[in-house]
Amino acid sequence: MKALVLYGSKKGDTTLDAVSNFTSYVLRSIGYEVDVIFLHDLKIADCTGCFYCWVKSPGVCVIDDDGRDIAMKLIKNDLVVYLTPIIFGGYSSELKKVLDRQIPIVLPFFMKINGEVHHKPRYERYPCLVAVGVLSRPDEESEKIFATPVSRNAINMYCPAHSAGVVYSTDSSGILQDKIRAILAKAGVGR
Amino acid sequence: MKESKRTLLLIGSPRGPKSTSESLGAYLLKKLQGYGLETEKVYIYPSLRSDEGRVILLRAVESSDLLILSFPLYVDSLPSPAIAALELIAEHRKTSKKPKSQKLLAIANNGFPEADQNDTALAICSRFASETGIEWVGGLALGGGEAIRGRPLDEAGGMARNVKKALDLAAAAMAEGKSMPQEAKALMAKPLAPIWMYVWFGNRRWKSQAKKHGAQNKLFHRPYQK
Repeated sequence: MKALVLYGSKKGDTTLDAVSNFTSYVLRSIGYEVDVIFLHDLKIADCTGCFYCWVKSPGVCVIDDDGRDIAMKLIKNDLVVYLTPIIFGGYSSELKKVLDRQIPIVLPFFMKINGEVHHKPRYERYPCLVAVGVLSRPDEESEKIFATPVSRNAINMYCPAHSAGVVYSTDSSGILQDKIRAILAKAGVGR
Repeated sequence: MKESKRTLLLIGSPRGPKSTSESLGAYLLKKLQGYGLETEKVYIYPSLRSDEGRVILLRAVESSDLLILSFPLYVDSLPSPAIAALELIAEHRKTSKKPKSQKLLAIANNGFPEADQNDTALAICSRFASETGIEWVGGLALGGGEAIRGRPLDEAGGMARNVKKALDLAAAAMAEGKSMPQEAKALMAKPLAPIWMYVWFGNRRWKSQAKKHGAQNKLFHRPYQK
Protein backbone atom coordinates (compact mmCIF):
# COMPACT_ATOMS: atom_id res chain seq x y z
CA MET A 1 0.00 0.00 0.00
CA LYS A 2 1.28 3.44 -0.94
CA ALA A 3 0.46 6.84 0.54
CA LEU A 4 1.22 10.26 -0.89
CA VAL A 5 1.38 13.03 1.72
CA LEU A 6 1.10 16.60 0.39
CA TYR A 7 2.71 19.03 2.81
CA GLY A 8 0.97 22.35 2.22
CA SER A 9 2.61 25.06 4.30
CA LYS A 10 4.91 27.79 3.08
CA LYS A 11 8.69 27.49 3.29
CA GLY A 12 9.88 28.32 6.79
CA ASP A 13 6.45 27.72 8.36
CA THR A 14 6.80 24.77 10.73
CA THR A 15 3.06 24.51 11.56
CA LEU A 16 2.77 21.13 9.84
CA ASP A 17 6.02 19.48 10.95
CA ALA A 18 4.63 17.52 13.91
CA VAL A 19 1.48 16.55 11.98
CA SER A 20 3.55 15.38 9.04
CA ASN A 21 5.89 13.35 11.24
CA PHE A 22 3.05 11.65 13.12
CA THR A 23 1.05 10.97 9.94
CA SER A 24 4.07 9.33 8.32
CA TYR A 25 4.83 7.38 11.50
CA VAL A 26 1.26 6.09 11.86
CA LEU A 27 0.99 5.16 8.18
CA ARG A 28 4.34 3.33 8.19
CA SER A 29 3.35 1.48 11.37
CA ILE A 30 0.36 0.03 9.54
CA GLY A 31 2.35 -1.00 6.51
CA TYR A 32 2.17 1.96 4.14
CA GLU A 33 5.06 3.06 1.99
CA VAL A 34 4.95 6.85 2.52
CA ASP A 35 6.06 9.60 0.13
CA VAL A 36 5.96 13.06 1.73
CA ILE A 37 5.99 15.88 -0.84
CA PHE A 38 7.09 19.28 0.45
CA LEU A 39 5.20 21.40 -2.06
CA HIS A 40 7.11 24.58 -1.23
CA ASP A 41 10.33 22.96 -2.49
CA LEU A 42 8.89 22.16 -5.90
CA LYS A 43 8.28 23.98 -9.13
CA ILE A 44 4.51 24.07 -9.51
CA ALA A 45 3.01 26.66 -11.84
CA ASP A 46 -0.55 27.89 -11.44
CA CYS A 47 -3.22 26.19 -13.55
CA THR A 48 -3.91 28.46 -16.53
CA GLY A 49 -7.45 27.20 -17.15
CA CYS A 50 -6.57 26.25 -20.76
CA PHE A 51 -8.24 22.80 -20.55
CA TYR A 52 -5.57 21.44 -22.90
CA CYS A 53 -5.22 18.53 -20.44
CA TRP A 54 -8.68 17.52 -21.66
CA VAL A 55 -8.68 18.45 -25.35
CA LYS A 56 -5.07 18.65 -26.61
CA SER A 57 -3.01 16.16 -24.59
CA PRO A 58 -5.80 14.27 -22.79
CA GLY A 59 -4.83 13.19 -19.30
CA VAL A 60 -1.57 15.17 -19.19
CA CYS A 61 -1.14 18.82 -18.18
CA VAL A 62 0.71 20.81 -20.85
CA ILE A 63 2.87 22.47 -18.17
CA ASP A 64 5.92 20.23 -17.72
CA ASP A 65 6.75 20.68 -14.03
CA ASP A 66 6.28 19.01 -10.65
CA GLY A 67 2.52 19.70 -10.72
CA ARG A 68 2.25 17.27 -13.62
CA ASP A 69 4.28 14.61 -11.79
CA ILE A 70 2.10 14.84 -8.70
CA ALA A 71 -1.03 14.11 -10.80
CA MET A 72 0.73 10.92 -11.93
CA LYS A 73 1.74 10.01 -8.37
CA LEU A 74 -1.77 10.58 -7.12
CA ILE A 75 -3.20 7.98 -9.47
CA LYS A 76 -0.48 5.47 -8.59
CA ASN A 77 -1.09 5.73 -4.81
CA ASP A 78 -3.74 4.09 -2.65
CA LEU A 79 -4.08 7.03 -0.29
CA VAL A 80 -3.47 10.76 -0.59
CA VAL A 81 -3.18 12.89 2.55
CA TYR A 82 -3.55 16.66 2.42
CA LEU A 83 -1.77 18.49 5.23
CA THR A 84 -2.60 22.18 5.44
CA PRO A 85 -2.84 25.07 7.82
CA ILE A 86 -6.54 26.01 7.71
CA ILE A 87 -6.76 29.31 5.87
CA PHE A 88 -10.14 31.07 6.15
CA GLY A 89 -11.73 27.63 6.60
CA GLY A 90 -10.08 26.20 3.49
CA TYR A 91 -6.76 25.01 2.11
CA SER A 92 -3.56 27.05 1.99
CA SER A 93 -2.63 28.56 -1.38
CA GLU A 94 0.45 26.30 -1.30
CA LEU A 95 -1.65 23.12 -1.19
CA LYS A 96 -4.31 24.51 -3.52
CA LYS A 97 -1.67 25.24 -6.16
CA VAL A 98 -1.14 21.52 -6.72
CA LEU A 99 -4.81 20.58 -6.36
CA ASP A 100 -5.71 23.01 -9.17
CA ARG A 101 -3.36 20.99 -11.41
CA GLN A 102 -5.15 17.67 -10.81
CA ILE A 103 -7.99 18.06 -13.32
CA PRO A 104 -6.27 15.87 -15.97
CA ILE A 105 -7.14 12.84 -13.83
CA VAL A 106 -10.84 13.19 -14.71
CA LEU A 107 -12.56 13.49 -18.09
CA PRO A 108 -14.09 16.72 -19.40
CA PHE A 109 -17.44 15.02 -19.99
CA PHE A 110 -20.29 15.47 -17.56
CA MET A 111 -22.38 12.98 -15.64
CA LYS A 112 -24.77 13.23 -12.71
CA ILE A 113 -23.83 12.02 -9.24
CA ASN A 114 -26.55 12.22 -6.61
CA GLY A 115 -28.48 14.62 -8.86
CA GLU A 116 -25.52 16.99 -9.31
CA VAL A 117 -23.34 17.40 -12.42
CA HIS A 118 -19.67 16.38 -12.18
CA HIS A 119 -16.91 15.32 -14.56
CA LYS A 120 -16.72 11.65 -15.50
CA PRO A 121 -13.82 9.56 -14.15
CA ARG A 122 -10.83 8.94 -16.43
CA TYR A 123 -9.44 6.02 -14.40
CA GLU A 124 -10.98 2.89 -12.94
CA ARG A 125 -9.64 3.54 -9.48
CA TYR A 126 -8.63 6.56 -7.44
CA PRO A 127 -6.93 6.93 -4.04
CA CYS A 128 -8.73 7.39 -0.75
CA LEU A 129 -8.49 10.96 0.53
CA VAL A 130 -7.65 12.15 4.04
CA ALA A 131 -7.21 15.83 4.92
CA VAL A 132 -5.71 17.10 8.15
CA GLY A 133 -6.07 20.80 8.83
CA VAL A 134 -4.15 22.67 11.50
CA LEU A 135 -5.53 25.57 13.53
CA SER A 136 -3.83 27.49 16.29
CA ARG A 137 -6.93 27.16 18.47
CA PRO A 138 -10.49 25.71 18.29
CA ASP A 139 -12.62 27.62 15.81
CA GLU A 140 -16.04 26.13 15.15
CA GLU A 141 -16.77 28.04 11.95
CA SER A 142 -13.44 27.29 10.26
CA GLU A 143 -13.67 23.63 11.25
CA LYS A 144 -17.16 23.38 9.77
CA ILE A 145 -16.09 24.98 6.47
CA PHE A 146 -12.97 22.79 6.24
CA ALA A 147 -14.91 19.52 6.00
CA THR A 148 -16.82 20.71 2.93
CA PRO A 149 -14.11 21.14 0.26
CA VAL A 150 -12.68 17.79 1.33
CA SER A 151 -15.95 15.93 0.83
CA ARG A 152 -16.55 17.77 -2.45
CA ASN A 153 -13.02 16.93 -3.66
CA ALA A 154 -13.74 13.30 -2.80
CA ILE A 155 -16.85 13.34 -5.01
CA ASN A 156 -15.04 15.00 -7.91
CA MET A 157 -11.99 12.73 -7.55
CA TYR A 158 -13.99 9.50 -7.16
CA CYS A 159 -12.25 8.67 -3.87
CA PRO A 160 -13.56 5.34 -2.51
CA ALA A 161 -13.32 6.74 1.05
CA HIS A 162 -12.45 10.06 2.59
CA SER A 163 -12.21 11.91 5.88
CA ALA A 164 -11.27 15.34 7.17
CA GLY A 165 -10.14 16.35 10.62
CA VAL A 166 -8.68 19.25 12.51
CA VAL A 167 -5.79 19.31 14.96
CA TYR A 168 -4.48 22.24 16.99
CA SER A 169 -0.90 23.39 17.03
CA THR A 170 -1.15 23.31 20.83
CA ASP A 171 -2.05 19.59 20.93
CA SER A 172 0.37 17.41 22.87
CA SER A 173 2.16 14.60 21.01
CA GLY A 174 -0.15 11.98 22.50
CA ILE A 175 -3.32 13.85 21.55
CA LEU A 176 -1.97 14.60 18.09
CA GLN A 177 -1.16 10.96 17.44
CA ASP A 178 -4.61 9.82 18.66
CA LYS A 179 -6.34 12.43 16.50
CA ILE A 180 -4.38 11.46 13.39
CA ARG A 181 -5.14 7.77 13.95
CA ALA A 182 -8.84 8.66 14.33
CA ILE A 183 -8.91 10.83 11.18
CA LEU A 184 -7.25 8.05 9.16
CA ALA A 185 -9.59 5.45 10.65
CA LYS A 186 -12.63 7.47 9.53
CA ALA A 187 -11.48 6.81 5.96
CA GLY A 188 -10.94 3.15 6.78
CA VAL A 189 -7.14 3.51 6.98
CA GLY A 190 -5.59 1.33 9.69
CA ARG A 191 -8.86 -0.21 10.79
CA MET B 1 -26.72 57.89 0.63
CA LYS B 2 -23.58 56.64 -1.12
CA GLU B 3 -21.44 54.94 1.51
CA SER B 4 -18.94 52.87 -0.48
CA LYS B 5 -17.07 55.54 -2.37
CA ARG B 6 -14.18 53.77 -3.99
CA THR B 7 -14.53 50.28 -5.42
CA LEU B 8 -11.82 47.81 -6.36
CA LEU B 9 -12.54 44.83 -8.59
CA LEU B 10 -10.10 41.96 -8.11
CA ILE B 11 -10.16 39.45 -10.96
CA GLY B 12 -9.15 36.00 -9.73
CA SER B 13 -9.08 34.12 -13.03
CA PRO B 14 -5.97 33.08 -14.99
CA ARG B 15 -7.82 34.11 -18.16
CA GLY B 16 -7.83 37.72 -16.92
CA PRO B 17 -9.67 40.10 -19.27
CA LYS B 18 -10.98 37.15 -21.32
CA SER B 19 -12.64 35.44 -18.37
CA THR B 20 -16.24 35.11 -17.24
CA SER B 21 -15.05 36.55 -13.92
CA GLU B 22 -14.20 39.70 -15.91
CA SER B 23 -17.59 39.64 -17.73
CA LEU B 24 -19.41 39.62 -14.38
CA GLY B 25 -17.12 42.02 -12.52
CA ALA B 26 -16.82 44.53 -15.36
CA TYR B 27 -20.60 44.73 -15.76
CA LEU B 28 -21.02 45.41 -12.04
CA LEU B 29 -18.23 47.99 -12.10
CA LYS B 30 -19.87 49.83 -15.00
CA LYS B 31 -23.15 49.96 -13.08
CA LEU B 32 -21.37 51.29 -9.99
CA GLN B 33 -19.72 53.98 -12.11
CA GLY B 34 -23.26 54.94 -13.17
CA TYR B 35 -23.98 55.59 -9.49
CA GLY B 36 -20.98 57.90 -9.35
CA LEU B 37 -18.59 55.53 -7.61
CA GLU B 38 -14.89 55.62 -8.43
CA THR B 39 -13.65 52.24 -9.61
CA GLU B 40 -10.40 50.40 -10.20
CA LYS B 41 -9.56 46.91 -11.45
CA VAL B 42 -6.61 44.65 -10.61
CA TYR B 43 -5.79 41.23 -12.08
CA ILE B 44 -4.57 38.95 -9.31
CA TYR B 45 -2.50 36.49 -11.38
CA PRO B 46 -0.03 38.95 -12.95
CA SER B 47 0.03 41.05 -9.76
CA LEU B 48 1.37 38.17 -7.66
CA ARG B 49 4.28 37.48 -10.01
CA SER B 50 6.41 40.37 -8.76
CA ASP B 51 7.07 42.39 -5.60
CA GLU B 52 6.01 45.49 -7.49
CA GLY B 53 2.73 43.85 -8.51
CA ARG B 54 2.01 42.83 -4.92
CA VAL B 55 2.66 46.38 -3.71
CA ILE B 56 0.32 47.80 -6.37
CA LEU B 57 -2.35 45.27 -5.39
CA LEU B 58 -2.08 46.11 -1.69
CA ARG B 59 -2.14 49.86 -2.38
CA ALA B 60 -5.28 49.43 -4.48
CA VAL B 61 -6.89 47.39 -1.70
CA GLU B 62 -5.89 49.94 0.95
CA SER B 63 -7.43 52.83 -0.94
CA SER B 64 -10.78 51.10 -1.51
CA ASP B 65 -13.98 51.14 0.47
CA LEU B 66 -15.62 48.24 -1.33
CA LEU B 67 -13.70 45.19 -2.57
CA ILE B 68 -15.25 42.96 -5.21
CA LEU B 69 -13.60 39.59 -5.78
CA SER B 70 -14.71 37.85 -8.96
CA PHE B 71 -13.30 34.36 -9.56
CA PRO B 72 -13.95 30.96 -11.13
CA LEU B 73 -14.43 27.87 -8.98
CA TYR B 74 -11.33 25.68 -9.19
CA VAL B 75 -11.47 22.24 -7.60
CA ASP B 76 -14.28 23.20 -5.22
CA SER B 77 -12.65 26.38 -3.94
CA LEU B 78 -10.98 29.59 -5.06
CA PRO B 79 -8.04 29.24 -7.46
CA SER B 80 -4.72 29.13 -5.62
CA PRO B 81 -3.62 32.69 -6.59
CA ALA B 82 -6.93 34.10 -5.34
CA ILE B 83 -6.31 32.40 -1.97
CA ALA B 84 -2.73 33.74 -2.04
CA ALA B 85 -4.11 37.27 -2.59
CA LEU B 86 -6.43 36.89 0.40
CA GLU B 87 -3.49 35.60 2.50
CA LEU B 88 -1.46 38.64 1.42
CA ILE B 89 -4.26 41.12 2.20
CA ALA B 90 -4.88 39.49 5.61
CA GLU B 91 -1.19 39.66 6.48
CA HIS B 92 -1.01 43.29 5.39
CA ARG B 93 -4.06 44.26 7.48
CA LYS B 94 -2.44 42.64 10.53
CA THR B 95 0.54 44.95 10.20
CA SER B 96 -1.55 48.09 9.58
CA LYS B 97 -1.86 50.32 12.63
CA LYS B 98 -5.48 51.15 11.93
CA PRO B 99 -6.94 49.01 9.13
CA LYS B 100 -9.52 50.86 7.09
CA SER B 101 -13.20 50.02 7.42
CA GLN B 102 -13.99 48.09 4.24
CA LYS B 103 -16.60 45.85 2.68
CA LEU B 104 -16.28 42.70 0.60
CA LEU B 105 -18.53 41.26 -2.07
CA ALA B 106 -17.61 38.06 -3.92
CA ILE B 107 -18.82 36.70 -7.24
CA ALA B 108 -18.10 33.03 -7.94
CA ASN B 109 -18.80 31.25 -11.20
CA ASN B 110 -18.27 27.62 -12.09
CA GLY B 111 -18.33 25.23 -15.02
CA PHE B 112 -21.04 23.00 -13.58
CA PRO B 113 -24.62 24.06 -14.13
CA GLU B 114 -25.50 24.22 -10.41
CA ALA B 115 -24.76 27.58 -8.76
CA ASP B 116 -24.67 26.07 -5.28
CA GLN B 117 -21.45 24.21 -6.10
CA ASN B 118 -19.85 27.63 -5.37
CA ASP B 119 -21.12 27.69 -1.76
CA THR B 120 -17.89 26.49 -0.13
CA ALA B 121 -15.80 29.06 -1.98
CA LEU B 122 -18.14 31.85 -0.90
CA ALA B 123 -18.04 30.56 2.70
CA ILE B 124 -14.24 30.88 2.53
CA CYS B 125 -14.56 34.48 1.27
CA SER B 126 -16.98 35.27 4.09
CA ARG B 127 -14.59 33.74 6.62
CA PHE B 128 -11.70 35.79 5.20
CA ALA B 129 -13.81 38.90 5.76
CA SER B 130 -14.65 38.04 9.36
CA GLU B 131 -11.03 37.12 10.21
CA THR B 132 -9.71 40.39 8.78
CA GLY B 133 -12.38 42.72 10.16
CA ILE B 134 -13.86 43.45 6.74
CA GLU B 135 -17.64 43.66 6.47
CA TRP B 136 -19.06 40.81 4.37
CA VAL B 137 -21.88 42.18 2.23
CA GLY B 138 -22.59 38.87 0.52
CA GLY B 139 -21.78 36.63 -2.39
CA LEU B 140 -23.27 35.90 -5.79
CA ALA B 141 -22.98 32.42 -7.28
CA LEU B 142 -23.33 31.60 -10.97
CA GLY B 143 -23.51 28.08 -12.38
CA GLY B 144 -22.61 27.29 -15.98
CA GLY B 145 -20.33 30.32 -16.26
CA GLU B 146 -18.42 28.59 -19.07
CA ALA B 147 -21.39 29.37 -21.36
CA ILE B 148 -20.60 33.10 -21.12
CA ARG B 149 -17.01 32.39 -22.21
CA GLY B 150 -15.64 35.76 -21.18
CA ARG B 151 -17.93 37.82 -23.42
CA PRO B 152 -19.21 41.17 -22.17
CA LEU B 153 -22.65 40.43 -20.68
CA ASP B 154 -24.31 42.82 -23.12
CA GLU B 155 -23.08 40.58 -25.93
CA ALA B 156 -24.05 37.28 -24.28
CA GLY B 157 -27.66 37.33 -25.44
CA GLY B 158 -30.81 36.34 -23.57
CA MET B 159 -29.13 33.76 -21.35
CA ALA B 160 -27.44 36.60 -19.42
CA ARG B 161 -30.75 38.34 -18.69
CA ASN B 162 -31.05 37.18 -15.06
CA VAL B 163 -27.32 37.65 -14.48
CA LYS B 164 -27.57 41.30 -15.52
CA LYS B 165 -30.68 41.83 -13.40
CA ALA B 166 -28.85 40.33 -10.41
CA LEU B 167 -25.87 42.63 -10.93
CA ASP B 168 -28.16 45.66 -11.41
CA LEU B 169 -29.72 44.91 -8.02
CA ALA B 170 -26.31 44.33 -6.47
CA ALA B 171 -25.01 47.66 -7.83
CA ALA B 172 -28.01 49.57 -6.50
CA ALA B 173 -27.57 47.98 -3.06
CA MET B 174 -23.81 48.65 -2.97
CA ALA B 175 -24.32 52.28 -4.01
CA GLU B 176 -26.70 52.68 -1.08
CA GLY B 177 -24.31 50.95 1.32
CA LYS B 178 -26.66 48.00 1.84
CA SER B 179 -26.05 44.24 1.97
CA MET B 180 -26.57 41.97 -1.01
CA PRO B 181 -30.30 41.63 -1.69
CA GLN B 182 -31.67 38.08 -1.53
CA GLU B 183 -33.33 38.67 -4.90
CA ALA B 184 -29.95 39.34 -6.54
CA LYS B 185 -28.58 36.05 -5.15
CA ALA B 186 -31.63 34.14 -6.39
CA LEU B 187 -31.49 35.67 -9.88
CA MET B 188 -27.77 34.99 -10.25
CA ALA B 189 -28.28 31.37 -9.17
CA LYS B 190 -30.89 30.69 -11.86
CA PRO B 191 -29.53 28.25 -14.49
CA LEU B 192 -28.44 29.93 -17.72
CA ALA B 193 -30.02 27.06 -19.65
CA PRO B 194 -31.82 23.81 -18.79
CA ILE B 195 -29.31 21.44 -17.20
CA TRP B 196 -29.76 18.71 -19.85
CA MET B 197 -29.01 21.29 -22.58
CA TYR B 198 -25.91 22.62 -20.80
CA VAL B 199 -24.59 19.06 -20.38
CA TRP B 200 -25.36 18.11 -23.99
CA PHE B 201 -23.73 21.22 -25.49
CA GLY B 202 -20.83 20.98 -23.04
CA ASN B 203 -20.06 17.37 -23.96
CA ARG B 204 -20.30 18.21 -27.67
CA ARG B 205 -18.00 21.19 -27.25
CA TRP B 206 -15.26 19.10 -25.59
CA LYS B 207 -15.34 16.70 -28.55
CA SER B 208 -15.16 19.48 -31.14
CA GLN B 209 -12.28 21.16 -29.29
CA ALA B 210 -10.37 17.86 -29.15
CA LYS B 211 -10.95 17.43 -32.90
CA LYS B 212 -9.51 20.90 -33.49
CA HIS B 213 -6.33 19.76 -31.72
CA GLY B 214 -6.27 16.35 -33.44
CA ALA B 215 -6.87 14.64 -30.09
CA GLN B 216 -10.36 13.22 -30.69
CA ASN B 217 -9.13 9.62 -30.55
CA LYS B 218 -7.18 10.18 -27.32
CA LEU B 219 -9.92 11.80 -25.23
CA PHE B 220 -10.22 8.78 -22.90
CA HIS B 221 -6.45 8.22 -22.66
CA ARG B 222 -5.16 6.91 -19.30
CA PRO B 223 -1.48 7.86 -19.27
CA TYR B 224 -0.97 7.08 -15.58
CA GLN B 225 -2.86 3.78 -15.40
CA LYS B 226 -1.13 1.41 -12.95
